[in-house]
Amino acid sequence: MTSRERIHNILKRRPVDRIGVYEHFWGDTHKKWTQEGHLKEGESLEDHFGFDMQMAWVFNSVANLDFEPQIIEETDETRLVRDGNGATLRLHKLHDATPEHVDFLVRDRAGWEEHVKPFLKPERRRINIEGYRDVRRRAAEQDRFFAWAGVNVFELMHPVCGHEYMLMGMAVDPDWVRDMVDAYAELTVNLMEILFEEEGYPDGVFFYEDMGFKQRPFFSLDMYRDIIQPGHKRTIDYAKSKGLPVIMHSCGYVAPLVPGMIESGIDCLQVIEVKAGMDLLELYREFGDRLSFMGGMDVRVLYTNDKAAIDRELAAKIPVVKGRFGYVLHSDHSIPNQVEYASYRHFVERGLELGTYA
Amino acid sequence: MGVGAMSELLEQIALCIEKGKVNAASPYPPAMKGQDGADELVAKAINDGVAPSDILGKGLIVGMGRIGEKFRDNKVFVPDVLMAAKAMQAGMKHLRPFFESGAAQHKGTFIIGTVQGDLHDIGKNLVSMVMEGGGYKVIDLGVDVSAEKFVKAVEENPGCSVGLSALLTTTMVNMEKIVAAVKAIAPGAKVIVGGAPLTMDFAKKIGADSYSPDPQGALDFLNSAA
Repeated sequence: MTSRERIHNILKRRPVDRIGVYEHFWGDTHKKWTQEGHLKEGESLEDHFGFDMQMAWVFNSVANLDFEPQIIEETDETRLVRDGNGATLRLHKLHDATPEHVDFLVRDRAGWEEHVKPFLKPERRRINIEGYRDVRRRAAEQDRFFAWAGVNVFELMHPVCGHEYMLMGMAVDPDWVRDMVDAYAELTVNLMEILFEEEGYPDGVFFYEDMGFKQRPFFSLDMYRDIIQPGHKRTIDYAKSKGLPVIMHSCGYVAPLVPGMIESGIDCLQVIEVKAGMDLLELYREFGDRLSFMGGMDVRVLYTNDKAAIDRELAAKIPVVKGRFGYVLHSDHSIPNQVEYASYRHFVERGLELGTYA
Repeated sequence: MGVGAMSELLEQIALCIEKGKVNAASPYPPAMKGQDGADELVAKAINDGVAPSDILGKGLIVGMGRIGEKFRDNKVFVPDVLMAAKAMQAGMKHLRPFFESGAAQHKGTFIIGTVQGDLHDIGKNLVSMVMEGGGYKVIDLGVDVSAEKFVKAVEENPGCSVGLSALLTTTMVNMEKIVAAVKAIAPGAKVIVGGAPLTMDFAKKIGADSYSPDPQGALDFLNSAA
């Protein structure tokens, strides 16, 4: 069975030879393992560990593509810059770090309509066509499942107005947030149409959509259904209309939202963050007949680098969740560089051993 | 103003905070549309001669406490807490001169920040709001905060407590250094930690005084430690 066939079946919970395997890593883990000589220079993690999937993230959703970032303030350590989303970001000059969002021009409907909405046009220059083509070709060479990857509406809105204005907007002016949801869903679908018609379809779609944090989602299931779900349905319906299965990622505790996400049409939930309160076995028991899963292995166990503890984590979960053929082995977020190469290697080997069907 | 009328006014203020009713112009919550909000009612209470400490302790803090408990119990969500905090701020602006004159006093000073290497701020901001709503003066150092910045803030605010936030397994390890630096200059300062990957065991291991999975737990800890 090829990787492509395996993931296709897993997403439909149909018989396979073994569970799938895929992983996300923090940036410096790959670098460290390469420096230690475990990977060859330039060798991909997909190739090295024989992952079943490969993804390409190729859309640029910054509102005003022609906006030249403006430096508002500069110190010895930082630079304060306004970007094409109207967001003010603090960039660190002395070390690599994700920019810190400091302020936003979009705080309400008026700001959205002035600074962002008019710019959200489905232009070809928003797409890294060559990047998509390259990853798609490499995945095909290895018969891997190839997924288009990108963010969905919730993750597209907060770079523009921040979590706080967005979440307050959901309470105070839900029509404004619904309008943002509609606009970003439409932009995503239109860009997918351009890309897929020009370059060919992927095997599936992988949406990143962080909707929770520790022990709770950002909003209630009712609010999800009322405001966010129409955007999910629009994008997922498009994927389904082309025969593409949909995997949706969410960090944090999103268990209360899962019924709504299933209504929206997702085929697989990823990443099932144990440290935020998610419970893979409980989700499997409740939704395993309708949903496949990727993740849910506690990364805190991996960075003990204790193989016996890793074995216990795998043995407690894999024999159960392989039951309906709908599981892909993955940590509950990403592998940090505290995890030794040998520990991760053991995790994959032992996990697939337990996950092989007789 | 009679005692009964005063109690009723303070309860109205508490309700505005709990429901996130900022002012009369705010359309939220729909059930209170057109009614006065925290802004107008706190101004009225001051004009009617209600003691600022009563407005704070029997109105604003009561309302914020209710929303904090509901959030802890998963009965409300982040948008509700944000609106409550906004209403709280609308009321607090009228009390600011009384804090400056000493007619109203904070329970203490709480210094908070997301630790170095980590830029996540929602959890930290929610804790800040609930702490402020609980009567503490909050000094928010922001995100990606070094041990040196925490130490400087602690030195400038004797008797303060400290809150450290981290969302990532890769950054929670930076907490130990910060806790040690804070305890070295202020051994009596209470340090509480929070964030997705943390546990009470981890808090104890790194020398922190407590861990809380939610903002109300952090407030309860500081109140009990005071």
